[in-house]
Amino acid sequence: MSDKDKIDPVQLMRDWFIQSEKMWSDAMTEFMADERVANSSGRFMQEALHTQRMFSESMGQYLSNLNIPSRNDFLDLKDRMSQIDETLNAVLIELRDLRKQAGTESTASPRKKPARTRKADQDSSSPASGQKKTASEQTEPQSSQT
Amino acid sequence: MNATATPFMADPEEITQAEVDARVDQLIRRTIERNIPGLADLPQTESDLEVGPTPKELVYAQDTAQLFHYQSPVDEVYRVPILIIMSPVAKGYILDLAKGQSFVEYFLNRGHDVYMLDWRAPRANQSQLSLANYVQDLLGNCVNQVVEDAGEPDVTLVGYCMGGLLSLCYTALNSGGPVKNLACFTTPINSDGMTLHQRWVRSKSFDIDLLIDELGNIPSELINASMQALRPLQRNANQLSLLNNVQNDDFVKASMRFERWANDQIPLPGVMARDWTNDFLRDNLLVRNKLILGGKRVDFGGITVPFLHVAASFDHIIPEAASRDLINLVSSEDKDEIVVRGGHVSLVAGGNAMYRLWPKLDEWVSARSE
Repeated sequence: MSDKDKIDPVQLMRDWFIQSEKMWSDAMTEFMADERVANSSGRFMQEALHTQRMFSESMGQYLSNLNIPSRNDFLDLKDRMSQIDETLNAVLIELRDLRKQAGTESTASPRKKPARTRKADQDSSSPASGQKKTASEQTEPQSSQT
Repeated sequence: MNATATPFMADPEEITQAEVDARVDQLIRRTIERNIPGLADLPQTESDLEVGPTPKELVYAQDTAQLFHYQSPVDEVYRVPILIIMSPVAKGYILDLAKGQSFVEYFLNRGHDVYMLDWRAPRANQSQLSLANYVQDLLGNCVNQVVEDAGEPDVTLVGYCMGGLLSLCYTALNSGGPVKNLACFTTPINSDGMTLHQRWVRSKSFDIDLLIDELGNIPSELINASMQALRPLQRNANQLSLLNNVQNDDFVKASMRFERWANDQIPLPGVMARDWTNDFLRDNLLVRNKLILGGKRVDFGGITVPFLHVAASFDHIIPEAASRDLINLVSSEDKDEIVVRGGHVSLVAGGNAMYRLWPKLDEWVSARSE
């Protein structure tokens, strides 16, 4: 009996889930779109925001006493790194501009600058069709839904 | 008990836990090495996953905007450069995932001069950036930079998702400007087609101002969660699909790259999020030509340049209903719409895109780039 002939019940379960996922997801999304659910989600979000603020304020104090950085400290650090990144970007742009002014090619692109003379192939589509194309374009298998 | 027995025949009491662990470890390693060829070659960490391999240079940067120019591998390019505008919540490397799977690489090889407007995460003090800033200042300055850098008066804009929306608004507000052609992929313009998000923001208890006051910028985790809510079990299905294909190295690598990108969202500046929520999702001003940006009304009827709209028939993030009015609102005489079978991401990256969309787009842009 070859491997192909063997029935793997776990794989069958997985395949069943993959096939029926959209149906379950649609049902869950429809439930979440219900006005009452949307209302309670909004209320939950408000409460969660208040709770998070209270919690982060009180925890921030404890962490500070213990000399341990809090999430906000890391976010500040992230901001500082972003500023440094931005400054480095400015330097890179300045260098690129200087190279351009000096007429020297970039180290990243040592090739000659391409000429802007290319023409469209003879078999290219003609402009202005104004038609909506649907059925003829639907060639991809239904599995590609990501 | 025979004292000269082999280790496997030894008295269980004589075998230590460490020996058992070592044997099990060896057995598992050997099984993996024998049965899953090439597993050792798989990336061990996220940083091992090479994404965005096409050589590029930073041309311009302002606030959250970064303008890149890709190195052309050919000697002759079309006159009109292409500027790709990414969604402000998504990283641009989805269009340059890996060698051979790259939208950017494809267009470079087809003789186009390619620039990309990619976005950075906003800092806390950049939460005041609005939709008008994104359209008129950041995108506007990048378009001007492309014109200056390429030395050509025209540019083709290619916008993806919210990037398409920014491109549309910019083109509508700057008719007579440098935009020669405009192509938009899965671009939301009608929030009536985005039922779940519209109901959430229209509920009495949803308070975007509170959210912004508390958080400043909208964190990427929240954006990711709101996207996942549109198809809550899809990620689980993808994981099971990965398990089914675990012996296929290429599948695993591609899946890891997509997964990395899907988890690598960009936070949205607070004021921009408020504009998106109030003006677009709640009041649906865009489709009614009533959106005001920087004191000017955004009227899609003012768009007269050649226009291409591409929608995906299985897009759950921007469903067809959210974008299908676009083709009728634009005044261009030369306009086309293509509906491709696929999802929000597979439309632009992956097999569906590579063999269906990219050649179509290349054909469309090439014919208008001389």
